[in-house]
Amino acid sequence: MSLHRRQLLQAAGIGLGGVSLAQALAPSLATATSQVAASLGPRRFVFIRKSNGVRPNEVALPTFSDAQKKADKDRLPLDIELANHELPEWLQQLDPHKQQLCILQGLSCKMSENGHWSYSSVLGAYKSGRNSLSGIKRATIDFELAKLFPSPFGHVELSLTGNYSSFRTGIVSGYSAPAPHQRNYCYADPQTAYNELFKSVTNPEAVDSDNQMLAFLQGEENFKAKVLAGYEKQKLSNHVQSIERIQARNKQLTGLAEVIKRHLPELDAVHANGGQNASTPEKQQAMTDILVAALATGLTNVVTYTIDELSTPIKGLPGNESDHISIHELGHNGGYSGVPADEIRETIRVGHIQQVSTIVDKLKSIPEGKGTMFDNTVVMYFPENGEGHHSHGTEAPFVILAGDNCRLDMHGRYIRLPYHGTEGHKTIGNWYTTLLNAYGNPIEHYGDLDLEMSRKKLDQSGAIKQFMPV
Amino acid sequence: MLILRHLYLLVMLAFAGNQLVLASEPVAVPTAIADVLQQHCADCHSGDSPEAEIALDRLGELKLDDQLTVLNAALEQLHFGLMPPADAASPSLEARDRLQQWLTEQLDQRNANQLRDKLRKPEYGNHVDHDALFSGEHVNRPGFTYDRRWLISEYIFDAKFNRILNHNVNVNIDGKRQAVIGSNKRRVNLTNPFLLPTHSGVRYYANETLNGGHLLTMLTNAKEAGTYMLYLAGRDQRYLPAVTKILALETQHEKTLAARERFLNQHVETVLENQFADEHAKLLPVFVRAEVPAPIPNDGSVKKAPFHAANPGNKELELIFRSMQRHQADGLSDQLLIENCEREWFYHGHNPRTIQARITFLNNYMEEFRGQIKQHRFAEKYKPVQYLPLSESEMQIVQATVQKHRARGDRYDAVIKKCLEQWRQEFEQARIDAGPPEHEVVSELVQQLFEKILERPPTEGEQEKHIALATDYLRGLGNQQGIKKLIQTLILNTDFVYRNEFGQGEADQYGRRMLSPRDASYALAYALTDSSPDAELQKAVKEGRLSSREDYEREVRRMLARRDQFYIVDESVHRPNDLSSFTQMPIRELRFVREYFGYQRLLPIFKDNKRFGASYDAAKLRLVSETDRLVDHILEQDQNVFHELLTTDKFYVFHSGDNEVMQASADRIRRIYEHFKDTDWSEFEVDDLGKHKDFIAAETMRGIDVNRLFKDRRYNPLNSFKTQLTSFTLRLDKGQAAAAPYNSFPAHGMANAASRYGGRFQSPEVARFYNIDMSNWDYQPIQPAAVESRKGLLTSPAWLIAHAKNTETDPIQRGKWIREKLLAGSIPDVPITVDAVIPEDPHKTLRERMEAKTGDQYCWKCHQKMNPLGLPFESFDDFGRYRTEESLEYPENLVEKVKDKGAPHEDLRDIYKTLPVVSTGYLSGTGDKTLDGEVDNAFELIDRIAQSDRVRQSMIRYAFRYFMGRNETLSDSKTLLDAQRAYLESGGSFDELIVSLLTSDSFIYRKPTSDTL
Repeated sequence: MSLHRRQLLQAAGIGLGGVSLAQALAPSLATATSQVAASLGPRRFVFIRKSNGVRPNEVALPTFSDAQKKADKDRLPLDIELANHELPEWLQQLDPHKQQLCILQGLSCKMSENGHWSYSSVLGAYKSGRNSLSGIKRATIDFELAKLFPSPFGHVELSLTGNYSSFRTGIVSGYSAPAPHQRNYCYADPQTAYNELFKSVTNPEAVDSDNQMLAFLQGEENFKAKVLAGYEKQKLSNHVQSIERIQARNKQLTGLAEVIKRHLPELDAVHANGGQNASTPEKQQAMTDILVAALATGLTNVVTYTIDELSTPIKGLPGNESDHISIHELGHNGGYSGVPADEIRETIRVGHIQQVSTIVDKLKSIPEGKGTMFDNTVVMYFPENGEGHHSHGTEAPFVILAGDNCRLDMHGRYIRLPYHGTEGHKTIGNWYTTLLNAYGNPIEHYGDLDLEMSRKKLDQSGAIKQFMPV
Repeated sequence: MLILRHLYLLVMLAFAGNQLVLASEPVAVPTAIADVLQQHCADCHSGDSPEAEIALDRLGELKLDDQLTVLNAALEQLHFGLMPPADAASPSLEARDRLQQWLTEQLDQRNANQLRDKLRKPEYGNHVDHDALFSGEHVNRPGFTYDRRWLISEYIFDAKFNRILNHNVNVNIDGKRQAVIGSNKRRVNLTNPFLLPTHSGVRYYANETLNGGHLLTMLTNAKEAGTYMLYLAGRDQRYLPAVTKILALETQHEKTLAARERFLNQHVETVLENQFADEHAKLLPVFVRAEVPAPIPNDGSVKKAPFHAANPGNKELELIFRSMQRHQADGLSDQLLIENCEREWFYHGHNPRTIQARITFLNNYMEEFRGQIKQHRFAEKYKPVQYLPLSESEMQIVQATVQKHRARGDRYDAVIKKCLEQWRQEFEQARIDAGPPEHEVVSELVQQLFEKILERPPTEGEQEKHIALATDYLRGLGNQQGIKKLIQTLILNTDFVYRNEFGQGEADQYGRRMLSPRDASYALAYALTDSSPDAELQKAVKEGRLSSREDYEREVRRMLARRDQFYIVDESVHRPNDLSSFTQMPIRELRFVREYFGYQRLLPIFKDNKRFGASYDAAKLRLVSETDRLVDHILEQDQNVFHELLTTDKFYVFHSGDNEVMQASADRIRRIYEHFKDTDWSEFEVDDLGKHKDFIAAETMRGIDVNRLFKDRRYNPLNSFKTQLTSFTLRLDKGQAAAAPYNSFPAHGMANAASRYGGRFQSPEVARFYNIDMSNWDYQPIQPAAVESRKGLLTSPAWLIAHAKNTETDPIQRGKWIREKLLAGSIPDVPITVDAVIPEDPHKTLRERMEAKTGDQYCWKCHQKMNPLGLPFESFDDFGRYRTEESLEYPENLVEKVKDKGAPHEDLRDIYKTLPVVSTGYLSGTGDKTLDGEVDNAFELIDRIAQSDRVRQSMIRYAFRYFMGRNETLSDSKTLLDAQRAYLESGGSFDELIVSLLTSDSFIYRKPTSDTL
């Protein structure tokens, strides 16, 4: 006998009644469900997904001692202060942020999809059956965090993907999941993201017409509900209440107009109409500006950004400016214009880290409380599929930047956790559980369990204790 | 006596107050109730450590919310007979009723009765007394369903949008192009917020209400759908004629603009040359060449990306080809050709980065590109565009505007842009001058959108309000955006997402009215399919032929007999690996069995390939698809359906359902085997193959192209040949009945049986679930065929996996399913205080570990209802494989580590120590003494279950819930008995059962409640 479950639920301030599926879809309409989260004030999370894997040796520190080098190669646990080391060349733009940086090695992601693509599964720690809707087993970690820290938009997803030759544009299906069997949508180009996110300032007429429509619907449904009572009335009055809440959200957005104006990014004309002529770095830069503005304005506290995917066209890459590069081809070691694939892969990563660094710089420049907005932000850059182009999911290196108020004890370190299938090994499920537990969701374990760890009867459930706040 | 003091204080309060209780008033306990509580509850629920933390003596001190929580708990315990406990004295029936009635009143008065809500839920369906339902005692109670709004399901959501957005899907089935219903892969990106719960049993109930999540998702959906509907209206004037009318001017302007833009994009140079003659060249900007990297050396020193990975996409390739076509001349070097193209792109104002990329591409891939041009016949596909001027009046406008805007140094795109901008402004002004659309056409618009979206005309009031709204939208947002907004408004109307089921006409003596004909047509259509009423049903409504029980029966029988329509059973099974997943019977008939048994719930269960001994992921999809096919088969036979579902020993195993194709494929393998078996094929050289050339050509052996034999000296298909022969020999050399028609190795092209969709027939590993040794597989080409150690769906691997965990079996789940679904029993929720984890022990079977955990008195109270029913299924592991020994899969028990990769027929499972499986159990709750009692194994349990009246009745109860969308009550007793009679008298026809249910009073009669004044 144990009171564990009850205690956990009480600690979370979560009622026993549960939340319906469709309610779970709407972090933008939610109020914080966790007392812990509510007491923390605004906290932000940025998930940056990259394709083609991150090879573990790519994040290994060049200044490792021989013993450390060997341990790292042998995938033995390590915990090293970054202050005493140089970062790998492609990460060196993060030098100024070294104290807030953690290179986390040794997590596995075998319970999500591996190979070329993971779709939503890497953020949900489940097998998605390729990209099937029925395979989406639960709300992804970003949505879980968004529920803890509600905001007008709840959650924002951005992506730069395509069909190898042209970029996707508009509002398209995304890679996160707000609930089981639900696929999120995402903004596929900077202009669309700009138009949609900052509509209350850039296109107030559209917001007005939305409000007009909602007011009409409210009147209509109220009229119908008048002749009803009890349960049948409830079916309509719930709807009316939802309309009212969306109206309130719209009002909140209009109220944010001044803040939005202050942080509104300037978007180059090249991004108009989907921006097919924009180079990949230009698109990335614009997305970064939008991402930061979405956080700075308070429109959202959680952003998931697929910075690239195997089919994202790479155009205008430094050193290969005039090439049309396929990331998939790079995974098969195909070079372009005489530049070997590995070199191009590194250039792509450098471009990514430039964006990560810009995000951190910009958030550090925005005051919040006694510090800056970055103090309350965690930025994660990680491979969607694991340790390579054709991954098996045994390793998924994470590059994490977290501000001073981060509730996790991992700053300024290179940490290698025990390897997959061995005692003490941690999976992305453990990592996401750590995030949730630290920020107010006391879930026992988030995500599916690793089958090899299960077969070997190794403990694999719960948060990574060494990172948890004391 | 603390409790007395408090309770009687409350009593005094009760009498001091007004008779009318306000919802916000605290609860007061009358004397008679206080007496009952004192006598039967106070012993445990009072004092400092009350049981379950419920202290009745402090009820008066609690806040109203907490009081209501206690009252709800008490009412629930009483209703379900859980309190007082069995070992305590029970109150008299009268006292019990009095207490229950008082609790109900108190909670109802405060609108806080949770039990009422609970009893609407599927998991509480069995709480209605089973014997009372089938005793005949209540047969005179008039059956009815309350008037209601029923939220659409995930499937109806898809069908509605597919209808509105003209999403019609065709699939190649058995070589014919067939229209299929049930696809959710639309061009429009919509999110389905009406997902049903995933439990087994009945998933779709009329209980759900719209909430914020639905609305938020529907807001985005409505926008997306609105945009696409406008696109459809633009393509087809019949789609929404009023939209075509309103947008006539816009459409005309857009066409004119598009024609001018297209003309200028193609011929701007000619226009400018003609118009500016000698001046033209002087007005051009100075051509500056793009900087590009040096071409890649062609000496092999650098690995070059292949053409497919470097080409800039088909559109770009076409554009580059056309430019090359224009500038190609005899004797022109590639460099000059590229320069001429570049000049053209430069003058046209193409993006400099794009020009750079084109030149880099041409510098490095000219040879490959020319090869592609030839291979893909670019010259035929992309013929040169001849200069054809616009009409005289249009040319005058174009020339005048070009003249006005062209400035020195302008690239062509700048000129075109300025012209288009001017024309756009002129057109916009013309539309403003034309004024808003006439009232009449706005009225038509409202009418048509109501018909298109809500499938009904607007009422007078609605028409008026929506015309006013539409007029506002059109004025404020312009015609296009205004129409889109009106579309959004209608999609967000609750009538779009709620099905209405209301009675109409005069009430009978019991206050019941028949469903209105329109609502009846939807109720019938949605009972059997996910689609709106078909043409026949609509016609019946129009002609007044849907207003009697006979009318219902005629339509139900007609729909049940339809076989001219294909439905996708499960999108997630249908798409990958060419697995067929379709049925021709009304989809909801098959879906009932599927969801009731819940075998499809295995899909999200992922398992360790090593423990399966092969690739599990692909095999599990085939397993579901073949279980669906078996259910389809049993329902098509329509005889003793429940019995067959529970006891059949025939299954589909690696079979498409097309016996002819599977037989032919197995025969082909035998012919090949027979042809070569007495030859020395393992020593064959290519020359030897030549001797069998005609035979190989006739049988089309995989990977062997006889036309290339001897023509191409380097061609050596011996490896393919020997791999096949090795595999075919393995499948037949032990005297097997037939060879399973799987591929010996992966390769393009077909050789063995095709899937029903015409693709490759894959995943033979499905056989492993049935304990079939693939190296000695007695394949059955004609299926369903008998499989050893199986009896009915409860022994199908799909059901067994769906009711197991990732790494071990789950006798509790399996037993719970049987108790609830077959024996109409109930299991209380797991108490919050229970730690439901079974401890690990490497030296014990799961049964032993489980018995140690659940055997104590507290746990056994509930577990006795599940464990003895689930444990006989320990004869099947968590992959559904039959076993007599249980592997103790702990590292310390590893006997042999088996290799991780191997041929398809090899078993790659590690070998562990084992213990014998104990499969005994106990059947209780059939209400039949001859059936209840100990059982030796699952097969005996199933045999007895299949004979039970209660089991049949339980299945009928679930069918009732499925087709009615609610739990049954005592007033449905006649409906259930009639359904049972129809089933029995027809020899176990599920169709007859459905006809009976859908023509019952419970279905056709509706009654208003206080809920619908």
